[in-house]
Amino acid sequence: MRINTLKRFTLTLFNQDMEKKVELEICLGTLCFIMGGSAFEMISESLPEDLMGKVLVKGMNCPGYCNMPKYGRAPFVKVNGELIAEANIQKVIAKMREEVYHGANK
Amino acid sequence: MAQTNNATLVRREIITRLSKLYAEGRLEDIDRIPLEMAPRYGDSNSSRCCVHKTRAIIRYRIMALLGYNVADETDELESLYSYAVRSLSGADRGNGVLTVVDEACTSCVKSNYTVSNICRGCLAAHCMVTCPKDAITMVNGQAKINPDKCVNCGLCQKVCPYHAIIYVPIPCEESCPVKAIYRNEHGIEEIDYDKCIHCGKCMVACPFGAIMYRSQLIHVLHRILNDDKPVVAMLAPAVCGQFKANYKTVTKAVLEMGFSDVFEVAAGAVMTAKHEAEELAERLESGSQYMTTSCCPAWVEMAEKHLPQLKPSVSDTWSPMRYTAALAREKYPDATLVFIGPCVAKQAEAMKYEGVDFVMTFEELGSMMVALNVDLQNIEPEPENEVLHERVFAGSAGVMDSVGNYYHGPALKPLVINGLDKKNIASLRRIATGKHDYNMIEVMACEGGCLSGPGSISTPDVARKLFNTQAGVTIEQVAEV
Repeated sequence: MRINTLKRFTLTLFNQDMEKKVELEICLGTLCFIMGGSAFEMISESLPEDLMGKVLVKGMNCPGYCNMPKYGRAPFVKVNGELIAEANIQKVIAKMREEVYHGANK
Repeated sequence: MAQTNNATLVRREIITRLSKLYAEGRLEDIDRIPLEMAPRYGDSNSSRCCVHKTRAIIRYRIMALLGYNVADETDELESLYSYAVRSLSGADRGNGVLTVVDEACTSCVKSNYTVSNICRGCLAAHCMVTCPKDAITMVNGQAKINPDKCVNCGLCQKVCPYHAIIYVPIPCEESCPVKAIYRNEHGIEEIDYDKCIHCGKCMVACPFGAIMYRSQLIHVLHRILNDDKPVVAMLAPAVCGQFKANYKTVTKAVLEMGFSDVFEVAAGAVMTAKHEAEELAERLESGSQYMTTSCCPAWVEMAEKHLPQLKPSVSDTWSPMRYTAALAREKYPDATLVFIGPCVAKQAEAMKYEGVDFVMTFEELGSMMVALNVDLQNIEPEPENEVLHERVFAGSAGVMDSVGNYYHGPALKPLVINGLDKKNIASLRRIATGKHDYNMIEVMACEGGCLSGPGSISTPDVARKLFNTQAGVTIEQVAEV
């Protein structure tokens, strides 16, 4: 009986760990930072409750999108690998919600 | 306090483009910037009537960034290149640090009060009856305010039983703590430089970005790239909250940009704190009731121009900028000294005293880094072992804290005035009456201190967070009193 409980418990832990998080990559280039990217410093404080614990925030070295007009304008971030131009916190939260409820992280 | 909105970003884009052109030796292309930024068939997502107006506004923004007062234009056909050449040759810059880009000013509303469609056109017509200027008429069953007669008294709003009359603020006028900005006879905002304290609040408040500081950026670039004399950067303590890098790492980037040396203004702040502590003890012992701080240039101007009763209480101690300049001058007697900070008013302070040649904002520093291809992400982070406690000058209550550390005298009874808003100015007026028992009063024009300055890169909350993780000292938010 006790062994079963323990088993269930470890399984839950394991599953939680394996649950795929939404990956948010934020460009670390100075251009993105001064053009509004600095706002993402507060991303962990700005996450709505339903996204808490479901997001993995990473930095990405500037891939140079800012020099190629076809990609749009800075600041750039990626959500699950998908590029977002003129990113701001609200835009990114909306995209991450979409991923969690309807997309790759459903 | 700095905000990140499209008006700010347009300014940063222009600064970056301008710096890039200069650095690449293509200044003669400067007249193309408005065309490049507002292409004829670009996106129609513009807040202006047409692309020509957008371009005209960009043109005037560039004029301000070349250091001119937009109102000083005499020939509308003068090219930006000609302005740039004149600016570099040291044309007289005249008065004031802030300038209104009149093309960008939409002159908001004619009258602060307007009747909304909630109006029922009631029989009683309390508004019409109450209006002392006969400014209200009934048109198509609704009240209408004639802005030419309205004096913004607000009585109509108070008496309307339907709450149908609304108050529409004019952001720049609303934000100005000293009523220095007003509508002229053309309905365009104008700054009264005799009243202006250069706090920069109007610039941050204007949703059309119509108020700009007159930049000295091109002079700094010119000295870095084309002058044999050393160009020394002095970084204000708030620098620790600007980038995702600590002070030492930012220093490396600044050197890579071409500055010859970097001085930390916190070193000057140590001297300010020591002198101010001594001065306070002396003043209190010789019978003064209280002293106020002198680091915030907008506050000093506020006292000079608007609160003459408090002027004698302002400390005679130099600001950290001036002490740092003295240190830098000792080492480099013939250098060009550039103060880089979050502040608009520092430019006015630098013009008032000898010592500092140019003043730049952090947003200009960031834009210049981009233009000169210096990227902080490529700079090896360098750990800092020892840091100056006086970096806390960047936040409200920081000066008080540092002065307290050096102070020996009668018991300190401190008061921190966190931001020059209407409420705090009223407190200062009460302080001037002498009916209080504070003996040391710190005043910061920006709420939160320099970290919230109008020339910062990020918003105050981001700046504080970055500062507290990188500076080696921490700044707490000052609680509401």
